[in-house]
Amino acid sequence: MAQKPSMRAIKNYRWQELGLFIIPFLILLMEMLQLLLARSVREGVVATSSLNPKNFPTIQALIPILGLIALLLAVNIILSFSFRKADQILLPLVGLLSGIGVLMVTRLGPNLRPFPDPSLGTRQLIWVILGLFVFLITLFGLRNLNWLSRYKYTWAILGILMVGVTLINALRVKDFNSPNHDQLNIGPLALQPSELLKIFLVIFFAAYLTENRDVVAAGNLRIGPLRLPPFRQLGPLILMLALALLLFFGIRELGLALLIYGIFLCMIYLGSGKISYVISSLAIFFILGFIGYSLLGYVRDRFTTVGIDVVNWSAASEAVYSTPGGGFQVVQGLIALCSGGIIGAGLGLGHPTVVPVIQSDMIFTALGEELGLAGMFAIIGIYLLIIYRGYRIAVEAGDPFSQLLAAGLTSIFAIQTLIISAGNMKLIPLTGIPLPFLSYGGSSIIANYIIIGILLRISYNTAQQREGLA
Amino acid sequence: MPLQLDVFLLILRLLLIVLLYLFLMQVVIAITRDLRKSTAASTDMENRVLPVIGHLVVVDSGPSSILPGTSYNLEPQTSIGRGPTNTILIGDNFISGEHTRLWNRNGTWYVQDAGSTNGTYVNNQPARDPIAAKPGDIIQVGFIRFKLTA
Repeated sequence: MAQKPSMRAIKNYRWQELGLFIIPFLILLMEMLQLLLARSVREGVVATSSLNPKNFPTIQALIPILGLIALLLAVNIILSFSFRKADQILLPLVGLLSGIGVLMVTRLGPNLRPFPDPSLGTRQLIWVILGLFVFLITLFGLRNLNWLSRYKYTWAILGILMVGVTLINALRVKDFNSPNHDQLNIGPLALQPSELLKIFLVIFFAAYLTENRDVVAAGNLRIGPLRLPPFRQLGPLILMLALALLLFFGIRELGLALLIYGIFLCMIYLGSGKISYVISSLAIFFILGFIGYSLLGYVRDRFTTVGIDVVNWSAASEAVYSTPGGGFQVVQGLIALCSGGIIGAGLGLGHPTVVPVIQSDMIFTALGEELGLAGMFAIIGIYLLIIYRGYRIAVEAGDPFSQLLAAGLTSIFAIQTLIISAGNMKLIPLTGIPLPFLSYGGSSIIANYIIIGILLRISYNTAQQREGLA
Repeated sequence: MPLQLDVFLLILRLLLIVLLYLFLMQVVIAITRDLRKSTAASTDMENRVLPVIGHLVVVDSGPSSILPGTSYNLEPQTSIGRGPTNTILIGDNFISGEHTRLWNRNGTWYVQDAGSTNGTYVNNQPARDPIAAKPGDIIQVGFIRFKLTA
């Protein structure tokens, strides 16, 4: 007997995803409540310290977060109809992270120094909503992943051209010793094309390595004890990498250069399975890094900041701390993290805005201050689960291109989170790249949602192939 | 006595942390269940014995060390290549990691190149797109020539 269509729709619904959404929604609502209460305490609206139903925010104040929740539910329903078999775990994780990001930016906006910006949270919310739409477009639009691999040069060149335009803008500034954020201003929008370039480069690496896997893995070129792939195969790979790195040196985004190089290392290892390539590339990296260190003044400053002794404050520490562009940002960030303690000051109750650029590069310290060590561990746990899930999708994927693509895109997350959070904690020199999904910034959010879209598409294709074989 | 606001905020804060970890736990449980399901599914796949419905017999081994006359069993979904995941594993330098795919649909064999370096040919026709093959046809994988037999 055939099942009724409505019955099948209920059975095929993405219940797991819906179930996983419940706690994030509760968390987001609770945090919004906390934020509004904390704000009214700060502004002195609530004179008495006793709890009173009148102090509670009205339902209107909760609308932004309710809107986000409704949209996530809508995405859940749409996916149930069209992509029932796609991964069900990534979206709740990502939804919670971007929700926390929106709340944190909403909290930081009005207190930003030196220019308060009360509408910052609203803009972040709009970006997340746009991001979810882009996510759906990616998911629906990528009918055929081969399309990505076939036009690999087009993608790479498109990305490089976009960054090239920003480089020309940056060169107009003509100040070679200061870090500069790459921004392309189109009307009121300040876009960061480098965020898209990293996705394009991963697509290129994945497609190129899949095509030339045998030759790359064979390693016929001998230089001393090392066996490298022949130049004909190595050429395009190195060329794209060099162009990307050159551009990042040009726009002075060392964090992104580091990120791209890290992805390159991951992918060449995944593609060839040879540790010798990784070692030789690392050696080249250290040489390049040393050249950068000796040529660029601001790189040296960043390294001096890592060497600052915070515990035994001395004259030397003070000197680094008080130089403009020196250790002030990092040291204040550490103080913020420290003052958060184990359970944190509570959202809206700390003073994270002392740290410069708190809303994007340093948001890790703001979260650490207001959610505490426990909250921070939970957030890092969420990142770990996203990364685990991404690699899992890669392992299960059917063809080599999808595998490399999924692994490469997941590596972006992993390396980016690692670089920026380690930079915030003064473990490595601080470089300005956003923390995925949490930092304020439209380009970064949209790029990250594109990544999630591609990952879900790969998991959907894998599930479909499995079903076809069984 | 009415609840103090700062106490309420403290409760909210603690509740948040509890909820965050509950969520992490829920995700980990979901992942574990998923993992168990997919392991079970893959052992099922391995246990199922696939029927042999055809053979590839080497007629010209080209530069490789395979002996002419060697016969390989064909499954309904067969892949030929150097990589360990293939149904037919051939360790020849002119064979790509995944070289050729063969599948049987309604009694007809289809041959398609899987993006190899040295190509796949059915009766000297390049098989970049799927080509139907019947018993007796010559299938060339890299520089090795096979005869398809039932």
